[in-house]
Amino acid sequence: MNHALRRPSLSSSETDDLRQRLYRVMNSQAFVALLFLLVPVTLLAALKIWPVFYNLFLSFTRYELFEPPRFYALKNYNYVFTNTTVRQSIFNTLLFTIEAVPIGTALALVIAKLLNQSIRGRVFLRTLYYLPVVSSVVVSAMIWRWIYSPQHGLLNHLLGTVGIPPQNWLNDPNLALISLVIVTIWGSIGSNMVIFLAGLQDIPRDIIEAARVDGANALQNFLLITVPLLRPVILFVVVTFTISIFRNFGLIFMLTQGGPFNRTNTMVWEVYQNVFGYLRFGRGAAISVVMLVIVLILTMISFRVLRDRQGA
Amino acid sequence: MAANAAAQSGHPGSFKTWEARLPLLLTYVLLSIGAIVMIMPFVWMVSTSVKPDREIFGDTIRWIPNELDLQNYSDAFEQTNMPRIFANTVLVTAVAVFSQVLLGSMAGYVFARLQFRGKTLIFFALLTTMMVPFEVLIIPVFLLIRAFPLAGGNDILGQGGTGLINTLGGVMFPNFVSVFGVFLFRQFYLGFPKEIEEAAIVDGCSRIGVYWRILIPNSKPVMGTMALFAFLWSWNDFLWPLVVVKEDSLKTIQLGLSVFDQEQGTAWAELMAASVMAVVPVIFLYIFLQRFLVSGGITSGIKG
Repeated sequence: MNHALRRPSLSSSETDDLRQRLYRVMNSQAFVALLFLLVPVTLLAALKIWPVFYNLFLSFTRYELFEPPRFYALKNYNYVFTNTTVRQSIFNTLLFTIEAVPIGTALALVIAKLLNQSIRGRVFLRTLYYLPVVSSVVVSAMIWRWIYSPQHGLLNHLLGTVGIPPQNWLNDPNLALISLVIVTIWGSIGSNMVIFLAGLQDIPRDIIEAARVDGANALQNFLLITVPLLRPVILFVVVTFTISIFRNFGLIFMLTQGGPFNRTNTMVWEVYQNVFGYLRFGRGAAISVVMLVIVLILTMISFRVLRDRQGA
Repeated sequence: MAANAAAQSGHPGSFKTWEARLPLLLTYVLLSIGAIVMIMPFVWMVSTSVKPDREIFGDTIRWIPNELDLQNYSDAFEQTNMPRIFANTVLVTAVAVFSQVLLGSMAGYVFARLQFRGKTLIFFALLTTMMVPFEVLIIPVFLLIRAFPLAGGNDILGQGGTGLINTLGGVMFPNFVSVFGVFLFRQFYLGFPKEIEEAAIVDGCSRIGVYWRILIPNSKPVMGTMALFAFLWSWNDFLWPLVVVKEDSLKTIQLGLSVFDQEQGTAWAELMAASVMAVVPVIFLYIFLQRFLVSGGITSGIKG
């Protein structure tokens, strides 16, 4: 094979002629493409494309693993939209997004803007901000469970020094979701910041310099030049951040298990509960489909917003 | 940048005035406060992990313990079965990193350089899947792994047994290739000068030769980036191993920790010691590989 792939020297003998033809086939763009794509594309088709359709199929069936799936029409979807627990999980997921995304994105942008200067210790600071991203969700959750601990937890200790009474962060129905939001923002600032830093590098310096010469101060420059120019990047961050919240399973598993009173029960948790708790594969698939549809709609809305603004 | 500009606007040749330094000072103050908040949980983790219990449950916050209690580490090491879960994780992660780099670079090369029928279709099909979170597909992928032919008592059609469920192969399976990797490599190769490859082809090099002898040796930055991301995903993965693995001896480090967390409840010193052990390799690897990171990967697809 290796030998055949070497371009043979020109010669009139028949074996060389055959070899040359073989070489031409094996060196054709189509052949190399097939050879190189065979494994990755088959795997991606099996892991990313086929499951979308199989999920859709399962969502119309009743399937509890030990008997083949039975056609179930729209009963799973009917359940998804009428059952109060599932409805609450959809509501909670959206609430989670609304509470985390705007603040988290804004903080990441401001930090990126501040870091995007030639200051001493820039790399060091960037690394510190990125550390929560590197840490796993399990480790992060363990640390925060300890910080949130009602007895001897760091947060209650710190709040105690300014006279705020201790709270039962993860078990108080009014505080549990916001507690998860705080951990989520803390854990995502680093990755969003890196994306913003990359975006900021692409803004031509002379534009900002020109605005400064024209009398814009730093704040005006940021709000009127940087933010509008970064719009595609901001949009990208909002979308990926939102999707990451929809995927946020580990925190809920580790910190609240959907409680108290379903206040932190999100869609991904509901899927996990139905499938791996009650073996309701069809029902879990229906919730997954709804989840996917919401994610796709959000993605498309933001692409449209981007295009319209750019056209204007 | 704003601070720099302000600094330069001071009187030429004179020392920087207070006014000119103010924005820079403010930058430092804000960034430092932020950084302290960001790393405080980690400092608290390390601090707790070396404290004796009576300091942990004391009434005052002690960032630096009065006495060290390293017993917490050996306790956590034994109770989590650290050597085992560590070895499992290293194996699963090494396979994921190697495979994602190799398959990503191969597919990336094809999409960046070769022309063939159906290319656009395949490319956009893959592009679309980037929007689909893995969590949404966990049910079909679980059933796929369970029906893997000739594994775990399955017949050739994948029936009868449990397939790759409860095996390390099952844990690895979804991590062999990432769409992100394909795009990362494609983007990198698109920016690679074509002339070098054309010259090599004129000199008699085959397409596979171009890939192997020219692109691969010049892909170090993008490989480092891919390797780092593949490492982080695989090392930190939680939901998938949770779903696939039941047996203690097959657990990955994250899974082992989560079980340990639920068993130990409030043994905070041991829990934090175990957390330190799980996170330290990742932090070191990140700091080591950081300089290889190509920003192109992060912005690819959002430019233009």
